[in-house]
Amino acid sequence: MSQINPEDFTVTDFAVREHRSLWGDAWRRLISSNTARLGMFIVVLFIFSAAFSHYFWEYEPKKDLDYSLKLKAPNLVVTEEIPSIHPFGTDKLGRDIFRRVVHGGWNSLRVGIVAVGISLFFGGIIGLLTGFYESTTMTTVERIVLYGITGFLLGMLSAWIANQFLQLVVFTVIGILAGYFEGLWAGKYYRVIFFGVLGALLSFGLALFTGLSVALICGSLGLLAGLLLSVTLDGRFFSNVMMRVMDMILSFPGYLLAIAIVAFLGPGLSKGMIAIGVVGIPVYARLTRSAVLSVVHKEYILAAHSVGESHGRIIFRHITPNILSPIIVQTTMGLANAILSAAALGFLGLGAIPPEPEWGAMLGDSYRYLTSGAWWAVLFPGLAIMLSVLGFNLLGDGLRDALDPKLRL
Amino acid sequence: MKPLLDVKNLKTRFYTQDGVVKAVNDVSYSMNSGEILGVVGESGCGKSVHALSMMQLIPDPPGKITNGEVWLDGRDLLKLTEEEMQKVRGREIAMIFQDPMTSLNPVFTVGFQIIEAIQLHNDMTHDEAAHRAGELLDLVGIPGAADRLNDYPHQFSGGMRQRAMIAMGLSCEPKLLIADEPTTALDVTIQAQIIDLVKKLQKELGMAIMWITHDLGVVAELAHNINVMYAGSIIETGKIRNIYKKTRHPYTIGLLGSLPRLDDSPGTELVSIPGLPPDLLDLPEGCPFAARCDYRVERCLAENPPLVEIDGPDHAVACWRWEEIAGVESK
Repeated sequence: MSQINPEDFTVTDFAVREHRSLWGDAWRRLISSNTARLGMFIVVLFIFSAAFSHYFWEYEPKKDLDYSLKLKAPNLVVTEEIPSIHPFGTDKLGRDIFRRVVHGGWNSLRVGIVAVGISLFFGGIIGLLTGFYESTTMTTVERIVLYGITGFLLGMLSAWIANQFLQLVVFTVIGILAGYFEGLWAGKYYRVIFFGVLGALLSFGLALFTGLSVALICGSLGLLAGLLLSVTLDGRFFSNVMMRVMDMILSFPGYLLAIAIVAFLGPGLSKGMIAIGVVGIPVYARLTRSAVLSVVHKEYILAAHSVGESHGRIIFRHITPNILSPIIVQTTMGLANAILSAAALGFLGLGAIPPEPEWGAMLGDSYRYLTSGAWWAVLFPGLAIMLSVLGFNLLGDGLRDALDPKLRL
Repeated sequence: MKPLLDVKNLKTRFYTQDGVVKAVNDVSYSMNSGEILGVVGESGCGKSVHALSMMQLIPDPPGKITNGEVWLDGRDLLKLTEEEMQKVRGREIAMIFQDPMTSLNPVFTVGFQIIEAIQLHNDMTHDEAAHRAGELLDLVGIPGAADRLNDYPHQFSGGMRQRAMIAMGLSCEPKLLIADEPTTALDVTIQAQIIDLVKKLQKELGMAIMWITHDLGVVAELAHNINVMYAGSIIETGKIRNIYKKTRHPYTIGLLGSLPRLDDSPGTELVSIPGLPPDLLDLPEGCPFAARCDYRVERCLAENPPLVEIDGPDHAVACWRWEEIAGVESK
């Protein structure tokens, strides 16, 4: 029997093992899934082709016109009849569909990013603030800002109903005043009277320039807003007002609201982006708020409070990184949704203005020729929409599984 | 000597859908600097809420501090605005929480969180703060402290996380450290280590410590004074010797009786206090403990006894019959 020598053994500390970060771990899980890899491939291809065509392949939609090539079927070799190659065929104006589909990708990408950016930014901020202040005491500055915002929103309603844009300013000022005087007259009845009368008088007086009936409407709205802003100034009130506004937006059918906003702003791709973005705000606001509510009472947030961190720091440094995963997933899925919505608006003639290549508009232009056998004019833009949406959805599903295994349905 | 902390008539209410929860009722006491105060009571008796009220960290809404004064070093904390309060928290009062598993933010390294706490109240560069964080982790007894600053909380064991939390609490050398059941989630050997650590740090740094716990055994080793809380009020308070040797309140007697002791003969049954604490939504008119008390008389059901000093300022009790109970020496 050989002697056991303790020096022959090396002690391995478990903590020495290589650490994987959350993102490294998520990445590993993401690329181990076939569907997520497929989604990623489609998304990368889509982004690459869109960006590449935009920067390296010039296209002037207004000059692209050739009646001699009207509605030709796809061809891959040059013939006498068709002197150029059109892998996807040509449309009713003789334009190369391949080229237009690829360039349309840039527009879809822009719509997706800008629209989701708008929804994510506003929705995220609203969700973070409403979730956090639901049960946290506000500082004076925060109160002034948040009540200013609440007043501004109420003012928008009034300005829209009475067509008096000065009301925006009036209501915002009332909100700021209500926030500023909170500590001074907290819980006093004359506070209610003061702000009610202030709102009524200011709104009424300013609207008198327009006419008596408008002044009456504005005055009563101002009274209402003054009363609302003066009663219980706490975070829950702010949260309630904001979430009810979100509910109002959410109660409209999405496409209908987007069409209404485009009708109000006028057609054009950039207006379409704003419309789609605004419609998406409540989705992100609710998602963020619920995620914030689930972490805001965790002990590490209480611990952050107890070392004296400011609210802004707690919201953006401690809460935000902890709620990122559902938001990343929703953003990826949202991109698919925005592309689809843009195509729907384009199909109805409300998105991109005609010669501009846009998948929905291309469908809308060409579906009438389907009966005369021009299947390619509809098939390829349709495929492009389908594939890009599928790609983002598969990637979103994969991200959900990778970032939060508990969420899996 | 002027006390460091003077709490007067503190009242905290939670306005819920079911009614008003009377979580803290007229709590008054004071603490000197360098003192270790044990706050004892069963679950839901307002121990934690009264500490959070002092720091103004109760969720508002639904919580509200309806009355009282909290004087810390000549300032009434309840009169401060939220901005001023943020400067007090961490610098003058720090807090350690019950569950070390959840009180560190999982997405940041331990070092990041300690450095952040240091930089909040001190004008230090990142490197200086990192150096200080290393010293603090060393002070609380984490081996290889400087190397472990870059670890995430999940790479720490429970005891180490609690040590890291203590380091964070100490980072600005507060005058008062509130420890809210810091050893409850730890096993007994680690508990003993943490208690020794706190004792040692208290001697070195000289701050006052409020130790909130339901474990009378823990505070016996640690505290100078004890507040026994029941249903949101202090029912007995005094020097540790008085509480353990000259117990006057039936509830405290019950609590002490329910502790297992090494000198019990085998087979001795532990005493348990029958019943449950009263519903804080609907407190009885008389003594809150009356329903469970063996010494109950009619007066107990009608009138709530005030906290009165007995044999000098070092012992006070809220019981109508303390003189009769005086005969009962606890084991």
